[in-house]
Amino acid sequence: MNFTILSARDLRLSYGPTRALDGVSLDVQVGDSVAVMGASGSGKTSLLHALAGILLPDSGAVRLTAPDGPLEITALSDRERTRLRRERFGFVFQQGLLIPELTAIENVAIALMLNGVDRGAANQAAAGWLAALGLAGLEDRRIGQLSGGQAQRVAIARAQVTGASVVFADEPTGALDSQTSAEVMSALLDMTVARGNTLVLVTHDAGVAARCSRIVDVRDGRIVGERVGA
Amino acid sequence: MTTIRLWWLLARSDRRSAAVLWLPVAAYAVVTTLLLLVIGGSRVFFSWNDDMAFGYQLLALIALTLLVVPLGTLGASAARLSARRRDERLSTLRLLGATAGAVAAVTVIESSALALLGAAVGALGAALLAPLIGLIPFRGEAIGAWALVPAPETALVVAGVVALAVTSAVVSLRRLVISPLGVRTRQNAPAQRWWIVVVGVIVLAGALVAMNLLGAAGSAGGPITFLVVIVGGFAATLGVLGLIAPAILRLMATRQARIATKPERLLAARMILESPKAAWSQVSGVAMTSFMSVVAGAGVALMGMAASSDLSASDAHLVADIRTGILITVIGSFLMVACSVGVNQAAGIADRRELYSSLHQLGMDTSTMDAARRRAVLSPLRVTTIGSALCAAVFIFPLVGLSVIVSPLTLVMVAGVLAAGFALVWLGLLATRAQLARAARA
Repeated sequence: MNFTILSARDLRLSYGPTRALDGVSLDVQVGDSVAVMGASGSGKTSLLHALAGILLPDSGAVRLTAPDGPLEITALSDRERTRLRRERFGFVFQQGLLIPELTAIENVAIALMLNGVDRGAANQAAAGWLAALGLAGLEDRRIGQLSGGQAQRVAIARAQVTGASVVFADEPTGALDSQTSAEVMSALLDMTVARGNTLVLVTHDAGVAARCSRIVDVRDGRIVGERVGA
Repeated sequence: MTTIRLWWLLARSDRRSAAVLWLPVAAYAVVTTLLLLVIGGSRVFFSWNDDMAFGYQLLALIALTLLVVPLGTLGASAARLSARRRDERLSTLRLLGATAGAVAAVTVIESSALALLGAAVGALGAALLAPLIGLIPFRGEAIGAWALVPAPETALVVAGVVALAVTSAVVSLRRLVISPLGVRTRQNAPAQRWWIVVVGVIVLAGALVAMNLLGAAGSAGGPITFLVVIVGGFAATLGVLGLIAPAILRLMATRQARIATKPERLLAARMILESPKAAWSQVSGVAMTSFMSVVAGAGVALMGMAASSDLSASDAHLVADIRTGILITVIGSFLMVACSVGVNQAAGIADRRELYSSLHQLGMDTSTMDAARRRAVLSPLRVTTIGSALCAAVFIFPLVGLSVIVSPLTLVMVAGVLAAGFALVWLGLLATRAQLARAARA
C-alpha cells in the first residue's frame, strides 16, 4: 500500500539573517528512499532535522502518518518529539556517533531499552540485527575497536532495531572510502527500503544519491529540482 | 613565534568554548584563596615558642597536608578542562604545520596563563577575606593581622598553583594524541594490575598491626601519638584506597554492566569501566573528608569527655582550638571537592557534547543522560566514603576504643559530614545540569 508517510508544507527557518529553509514543501511516500542533495549551507541538514522533529521551523508544518493516525510533528512539545524520535524514527549520522563506552551489542540494545524493552530481549534482537549486517562475532567489541564501516553498520542496526518506519541518515558515508561507502549504502538500503521502511538521506555524494529512488536538490533553502534515482 | 601568533588568532576566534573558560580560572582562584587562608590562619602558630607551640604547629601541618589531596584533584581537573577546550585549536595548529613540540609548548603556556589569572584572583580574594579569618580565635585570642599572608609568600603560593597547572597539563597531554585530523585520547588504558591490590591489602594489614601495637603500648605517647596515628592512618588509607578502590569499582561496574536493565544503569556502569581510576580520582578528595569525619567525631567525643574533667586554661584552649581547626579543614576540603566535581563534570560534558547532542536526536531524554552521569559519580562516591570511613574507624580503634567510635557524638558528626559531602557533590552535579541540557540540544 502506497501512502504519504511524511509531508512537509512551506517550511521556513532562519538563523539570524541566514535563511536555512525558505518555503520548502516535500512529500515522502512509504518505502521511498529520498536523497536530499546540495552544497554545504544549502539547507539540506536543516530540512532533515525539521522532518525528524529535531528542530522546529519558524513556520510551516510537518505531518507523519502514524499507524494510529496522522500526527503533526511541528505541533508537538519537545518531550513529545523526543519520544517520537525514540519510538518511530531511526538515525544514522556521518561519524556514527555511537556511545564509545558501550560494546557494539549494547549500542544497539540500548535503543530498545530506552523504549522499555527488557535487557534479555533487547540483546537478542540486537544480536540478530548485527548478524544480519555481517557483524556476528563482533558483538562485544567496543566502538573504538571497529573499523569505520563496521561502526556505521552498528549505527544502521541501532536505527532499525526498534522497527522504525522512517530512517534519517545524515551523510552516512561521508567519512568512508568509496568501497566501504558502497557496502554501507547497500546495507542501509537492504535494512530499510528492502523491508518496506522509508529512508530520507542527506548527502553531497552523487554516487550515493543515485542509489535512492528519488533525488531532491536543495539550494539556498529551497527545493530547486527533483529527479528519479535508481 | 609563528605558532604563538597562530594560537592567539585561534584563541580569539574560539568563542564557542568561552563558556567553559571561566571554570578552570575559577577553580584555580578557589584553590589559591583556600590555600592562602589556611596558611594565613596557621602562621600565628609559628610565631609562638612556648611548650604548647609544637603541638599547634603540628596540627597546622596536618591541616595543610589534609588539604593537599583535594587541592591536587581540583588543580588537575581544572588543567584537564582547559586542555579539552582547546582540542580543536591544537589539531588546527598541527594541520597548519606546527610540530608536536610547539603544540605542547603552546598548551603549557595557555595552562600557565589561565592558572596565573586564577591564582591572582584567588590571592586578591584571600586578601579580602583575611580580615574575617583574622577574627577566628586561637588560644583565646583572634589571629588578627597574621591571617594576611605577606606578598613574598603569596607569590610563592601563586607560583606553586601555576606549577601544579603546568604539571597537570603535561600529564594530560601525554594521554592525548594530537594529530592534524583531530585530538583523541590514547586508547587501551593499561589493564588492572592485580598485584597492586595485593600490595595494598598487605600495606593495610601491616598498618593495622602497627596501630594495634601502638595502642597496646598504651597512651604513653599522648596527643603526639594520636597525631602520628592520624597522619599515618590518613596516608595509609588514601594510599591503600588509591590502589584498591579502582579495582573494587571495576568489579562492581562489570557486574552492573552485565545485569543492568535500565539504560542509565548500563551507561553509568560503562562510564566507570571506561576508567575506574578516573572515576575514583574524581571523588578521592571525599576520602579525606570521610576519614576526617570519623577522626573528628572521635576527637569531639574525646574532648567532650575531657571537658567534663578539670582542665587547665591552656588545655581548655587546646581542646577548643582543635575543634576550630577540624571545622576549618573540613569546610575547606568540602569546598574543594565540590568545585572539583563541578569542574570535572563541565569538562566531561564539553568533551562529549557531540555525543549528547546525537543521543538527544535519537530520542534519549536529558533526564536519562543526567541520571547516567549522576550514577557514574555517586556510585564511586559511596565506595569511597564508606571505605574511607571504615579504614579510619579501624585505624583509630586501638587508640580510642569502640565506645568512642560508636558514641552518639561520633556518629552524629560522621553522619553530618557525610551528608554534607554527598549534598555538595550533588550540588556540583546540579550546577552542570543546564550545561548538559544545552549540549544535548545543540
